[in-house]
Amino acid sequence: MTDTQTPPVTPYRSTAVPAGRDGFVQLLRAEWTKLRTVRRWGLTLLGAVLVTVLVSVFAATSSKVQFAGGGDRGPEPTGPGGVRIVDSFRYAHQALPGDGTITVRLAEFRTGEGSTPEWGKAGVLIKKDAAPGASYAALMLTPGHGVRLQNDFVHDRAGSNSPAGEPRWLRLTRDGTTLTGYESADGKEWSEVGAVTVPGLTGTVQVGLFVASPMVDTMDRQFGSVSVSSEPSRSTAVFDDVTVDGGSGDWRHTDVGEQPGGDGQSSGPVGGEGESSESGGRFTLTGSGDIAPAQYNTDLAAMSLSGTQLGLVLIAALGVLFITAEYRRGMIRTTFAASPRRGRVLVAKAVVIGVTAFAAGLVASVASFLIAQPILKANGHKPPRFPELQLTDGPVLRAVLGSAVLLALIAVLALGLGALLRRTAGAVATVVVLFVAPLVLVTTLPIGFAQFLQQFTPLAGFAVQETLTRYDHVATLCLPEEGCYPQGPWIGIGTLLLYAVAVLGLAVWRVRRRDV
Amino acid sequence: MDSIDGTVQVRGLRKRFGSVTALDGLSFTVTPGQVTGFVGPNGAGKSTTMRIMLGLDSADAGEALIGGRAYHALRTPLHEVGAMLDASAVHPSRRGRDHLLWLAHSHRIPVRRVDEVLEQVGLASAGRRRAGGYSLGMRQRLGIASALLGDPPVLLFDEPVNGLDPEGIRWIRGFLRSLAREGRTVLVSSHLMSELEDSADHLVVVGRGRVIADTSVRELLATASGDRVSLRTDARTEAMTVLAAAGATVASTGRDTLTVSGPSAEKVVQLLSGAGVPFSEISAHRATLEEAYMELTGDVLEFAAAPVDEEDAR
Repeated sequence: MTDTQTPPVTPYRSTAVPAGRDGFVQLLRAEWTKLRTVRRWGLTLLGAVLVTVLVSVFAATSSKVQFAGGGDRGPEPTGPGGVRIVDSFRYAHQALPGDGTITVRLAEFRTGEGSTPEWGKAGVLIKKDAAPGASYAALMLTPGHGVRLQNDFVHDRAGSNSPAGEPRWLRLTRDGTTLTGYESADGKEWSEVGAVTVPGLTGTVQVGLFVASPMVDTMDRQFGSVSVSSEPSRSTAVFDDVTVDGGSGDWRHTDVGEQPGGDGQSSGPVGGEGESSESGGRFTLTGSGDIAPAQYNTDLAAMSLSGTQLGLVLIAALGVLFITAEYRRGMIRTTFAASPRRGRVLVAKAVVIGVTAFAAGLVASVASFLIAQPILKANGHKPPRFPELQLTDGPVLRAVLGSAVLLALIAVLALGLGALLRRTAGAVATVVVLFVAPLVLVTTLPIGFAQFLQQFTPLAGFAVQETLTRYDHVATLCLPEEGCYPQGPWIGIGTLLLYAVAVLGLAVWRVRRRDV
Repeated sequence: MDSIDGTVQVRGLRKRFGSVTALDGLSFTVTPGQVTGFVGPNGAGKSTTMRIMLGLDSADAGEALIGGRAYHALRTPLHEVGAMLDASAVHPSRRGRDHLLWLAHSHRIPVRRVDEVLEQVGLASAGRRRAGGYSLGMRQRLGIASALLGDPPVLLFDEPVNGLDPEGIRWIRGFLRSLAREGRTVLVSSHLMSELEDSADHLVVVGRGRVIADTSVRELLATASGDRVSLRTDARTEAMTVLAAAGATVASTGRDTLTVSGPSAEKVVQLLSGAGVPFSEISAHRATLEEAYMELTGDVLEFAAAPVDEEDAR
């Protein structure tokens, strides 16, 4: 400092400090410095990682899933493209060496004895051969979903909404590998259901009639516990006016997918052997089974990431404190005096806390997954009943990275709430009400209300931890207890993103207007 | 850096909080090169004014300009205005140096400047300790350091003397004066006039959201009751005669003491010596700033204590 007697009227000019700039990068750096220089906050982050991993490991250690009835499926065959499938049904068929057409009248379709499988199937089917997993195309009537044209297990196309109780004419035409389905109410006026290309249907194929009747899942859901029972079903279909153009050879009757000398773990129809008969051009087929992709009931990836549900509390507390600590001591005035554009300050804070929470969340979810998977396997969650998961599998990677994104968004949402409420206690309590309360409640509330919470509260973000592939053309139970979110992972995390952006936006709007 | 005339102008500020009028048309100007004291009783609107100057609160009417510009228009505020509003506005778990560090990063101020200002306020060794363990005096110094970080031509300090020990008070008085000598604009608020007595050159006195006086310290003292001289002499009668003849007002205040109003102490000595009147002691009694301030603010004290009835007090 100089003690020179400058005339007092000469205003001061700084020589000590070069003029800086107020870019956004400086703001980020300032906020990062704030975050890293409070040791307690570093410990909170570490605590969030530890809690997440420990709870995940605990969940893996103590996981018990019980199935009543026949949930214990044997190893499924795989279909074209390596998809795991269920392929067992009653088939009355003959050879089709080249192009041709099968036309039938489905006179009668009695489904179930007791319960009706919504995805029971009866109709015409062209298949490469009678082996499970062989390429196929089928035009069918279902009890719950009208007329469908399906091929190679994962592809499904809807026709009319014709009820199963009424007779329906069905026609399937093969032209090379192009299969075209038609339906009619009277056998005179036909409408096209669709045309599909099935690359596997080359050379001589089988053409015929089929019936399949999948397992019916029922659940008993009570406070904190769920039991799911799967009952086999049998259905009978009666066909008349059967004409096959281009067919050759005799009609044969096959239980596709049944392995002779079954050992109780066979992949054949669980509901017993199928029956079929023909008299005077009238075919009667009775059978069980399904033609569909196989689905797992237990999401092992989501289970090994379940610690996120508690880790979020610490992350949220940090997000709240990152702003309310400044309000509490009046430091926010220093912050806003140094950077008068308050909205940008809040956005910089959100970026810093979001990126930090993402990094901590990634460490936590990768560690949780890698530690919990071997424990789950040791607890009996192993193939063939359960999948073998790798960190690099697409859905697993989505769940692991998504969990980190989930924590980042929760941190941003908490920051926004902190800026709006300015009080630590109030903001933390709000986060708990928004996340933790629904997490506890979804397992106890009626399923409709639970699924509403899962879809429309910030809780939706947890959908990103799901790794099970669900098909619309397979009946599945979506249980909150099993971490099933009805809307799927992307919509789920998108919902949370909207919440975070909305709350932060509201906070920016308020902070710019309100006196500090 | 933009050319900045370091003048702070406050024009017609009005601000209400609910039904309470905090500022009621406040106007004054703070000029560079001197320490301006901003005084008034608690609740007079000093802190509100400073918050409006810093763009933290919005005024219902009027404006506060720094070098002719609103605070919001400043792109690098730390280089243009340094402020300390509340010394305890630091996170207790953060080290003092780290508190300055994040501020420095927000303006890309080099780290060496952080150590410079810590040195300047005498916190060089305490900078690596947590702010939660600081005494109030150390926090005041940290707050002043943060205001100096951008080496700005305008400095605003809200109650910087509050809670300081006598050594700290002496330090800050000298420090404020040296900042002003460098040509900076220095505005210092206080609710106690005595705190500013030795440091301020100019005073803005506020009460109930209005400016009561905007004047130099010298003028304020002159408007208060004039200077007096206390005199101790055994020859009381002779002294009274000589001084009264010279036009002074003389009052007897004791057996051998007199109070003389009018002539300066030097003049009194000259008169008595010329007349051969002996005296044993002579002292100039100056009106204090505090007395002048009490005279000014007597009617505007919002929470003035009721005058104590001496009979009851006994």
